[in-house]
This record gives sequence, C-alpha cells and structure tokens, in this order.
Amino acid sequence: MATETIIASANGMATPDPPSQVRVQLSTRHPDISLPENPGPILVNTNLRRYALSTLVNTLLQSEKPIPFEFLINGTFLRTSLDEYLTANGISAETTLAVEYVRAIIPPLYLASF
Amino acid sequence: NTHLQPAFEASPRSAEDARRLWSHYESLTRDLSLSLTEQLRLILAPTLATKMRGDFRTGKRLNIKRIIPYIASQYKRDKIWMRRSSPSKRNYQIMLAVDDSKSMGESGSGQLAFETLALVSQSLSMLEVGDICVLGFGNEVHVAHEFDKTFSSEAGAQIFQHFGFQQTKTNVRKLVADSITLFREARRKVFNAGAELWQLELIISDGVCEDHETIRRLVRQAQEERIMIVFVIVDALLKGESIMDMKQAVFEPDVIGETKLKIKRYLDGFPFAYYLVVGDVRDLPGVLAQALRQWFAEVVESG
Ligand SMILES: [Mg+2]
Repeated sequence: MATETIIASANGMATPDPPSQVRVQLSTRHPDISLPENPGPILVNTNLRRYALSTLVNTLLQSEKPIPFEFLINGTFLRTSLDEYLTANGISAETTLAVEYVRAIIPPLYLASF
Repeated sequence: NTHLQPAFEASPRSAEDARRLWSHYESLTRDLSLSLTEQLRLILAPTLATKMRGDFRTGKRLNIKRIIPYIASQYKRDKIWMRRSSPSKRNYQIMLAVDDSKSMGESGSGQLAFETLALVSQSLSMLEVGDICVLGFGNEVHVAHEFDKTFSSEAGAQIFQHFGFQQTKTNVRKLVADSITLFREARRKVFNAGAELWQLELIISDGVCEDHETIRRLVRQAQEERIMIVFVIVDALLKGESIMDMKQAVFEPDVIGETKLKIKRYLDGFPFAYYLVVGDVRDLPGVLAQALRQWFAEVVESG
C-alpha cells in the first residue's frame, strides 16, 4: 500500500477505491421476456441495485416501455446492492454471478411482506 | 472489501506438488520454448551487432561527413575514419507478472497461465540476455522469483509454489504501481545502467480488471521511465465465453448531464496499449515474438 501511495502522490492523483466490478450472466425462465441473444457475461459495478439492473435488462430487450424486473441470485431476491449481496453471502467478485430476472409483482408494496 | 474472506486460506502448494507441476509444464512446452528462443534470438541479434562509428586517423571505412571539413581544413582535421566499435552491451530486466486471482482458476485460465509461465521463463533463461523476475498478483503483489536469482528448473518449481489462484481480488492497479517501484530499485542496482538497460514486463492474466483510468495513467508513467508493459490475455474460452466478446455496462452522464446506461465492448476501454489475446499456448511464441519485435524496433529507433 505504501508504494502505491508514494507513486500516487508523486502524480498528484487521488486514490479513492473505485467501485469494484463483477460479471453477471443474465437469464430468465419466461420466454416472453427472454433476451433475443445470449449477451454472455456482462461486467457491471457492484454498487448496482435492482433498479439499475432493471434498466440494463430493458436496454438489452430494447423494450419501448420499460418493464420493472426483480432479480434472483441463488434463489433469493436481490434487496440490496450487488456488493452488499456478495459480502453477505461470502462470494468474491471474481466469480461470474448467475442472475435470474422475473417481472416485478405490482404493486411493489406487496413485496414488503417477502 | 476487506471483510470479504477467501473461500480457502491462500494455500501455498507443497514443494513436491509444485515440482511435479513444473516438470509437467516444462516438458509440455519444451518444443515451443525452443521455438520462442530462436525467434527472440533473431529479434535481439541486430541490436547486439557491432556498429561502425567514431572519428579516427586510421580505420575501416571513411566517415563521409568528415570529408569536406577535412579538405577545408587543409587536410589538418584528419580524423576521417570509422572503426568497428565493440558490441554495444545491453542489459535486460524482464518481469513476468502472473494473475493469481480466483477468476483464473474458475475460467480454466490458470492452466494456460502455467503453460505460458513455463514457456516464457524457459525461453528467456535459455537466451541468457538478462535478469528475470516473477511476480504473482491478486489482492496483493508478491515476488515469486527475484531479479538477482538464477533461473533453473528448481527455481521454476519454487515459483509454482506461490500460485493457487485463490485470491479474491485482481488489483492490476497495485501491480503496475509496485512493478514501477521494483523496476526502479532493479535499475539502481545495475552498474552503469543508463540507456542500455531495457526493462520489460509481461503480465499474464485473464484480463478482467477494474479502474482502467488509474491504470492507464500508471502505464503512461511506466512508459516515461522506459518500462515496456505487454499484457498477455490468456483466454480460456470456457463455455464459449471469450473476453473478445465481453460487454461492460456503465452508467455515465450524457451530453446534457443525464445519467444514461451504456453498453460497451470491454476491450475497447482496456488500459494497456500493447496487449495480445492468446487462446492456445501454441500461438504464444508467434504473437509474443511479434509484439516484442515491435517493441525492440521502437526502442532502437527512439534510442
Ligand atoms: Mg481475476
């Protein structure tokens, strides 16, 4: 760490840790919302939450009207950022995360009882 | 992310296991390393060749630039001959940095990294052109073989002991920063170093790393200190997933400052100017020789 600091300060660079990243492999069991082609693993920042991931899937689907999605990792719904999920479950960001998506159940208030 | 615990304790390989592994990869890559050695010898040969130079009263060849002043000076300035100077000695310091992170093991790139490490280190030691150092990197950077140590099969086996592909981060930024520091130290230790010391780092990794901006700045700094970095991406192609096709999703502000999602090709933002993607160790001698040939040509031209 010391060497890094020396070099960084010599360059006048700030050294805040950037958000870490993880590869996600998106999939769904529902043919009506499945991706036209398998995008393969996509590298994302681990600070992403459900909403950002939903935007990602909608972009890949090229949907005209955004569909709200929910995300499942190892069978449980993602309720935090990816980073918090990884930490809580002792998974390192070196793995490709298998992430399943489903249509969000509306109204979202109902989800509070999960 | 210091609270992330590795799934296994970073287990140094047993000496016996490492020796067995090394001899396996050593024999697997023997023919290839001979081929790489020959290619590198050809690349290095012209730079080691002698040059005609100087201003002498007697010599082998006339220095055309001195003829007119010679006549103009009434034949007084008669140092008009060039001699063959003694071969210009060059020292090389070559660092092999091998990715020891978990993703290497999971993608099956670890095997390819071992093959690459065995291949390149054998070739370089056969060439006897300079010092070799081997680093491992992940969360931390560790030196698996120091510059001033002689390379041998025994040393190769000891190097393999350091790699388990269990580190839970891939800190390439720290690797480049630490490499620069190690190269500075190594340069200081070489007697009469100057411009004749050439420093090269080969990074062997699956190529998945973050913080490209800072890395780009560090790579530029290395370049300013005449340290050449070639990034060898070992692409194991497991499950048909190649780094060549990998995408990256980033949220960034657009022209009006609104945050928008952009999906880019991962390698388009890759911070290393010189990188090669190798899917099969058999391709390595060819592509590596090509990259090095380009580098040596550039250095010769600029020097
Ligand atoms: Mg990695």
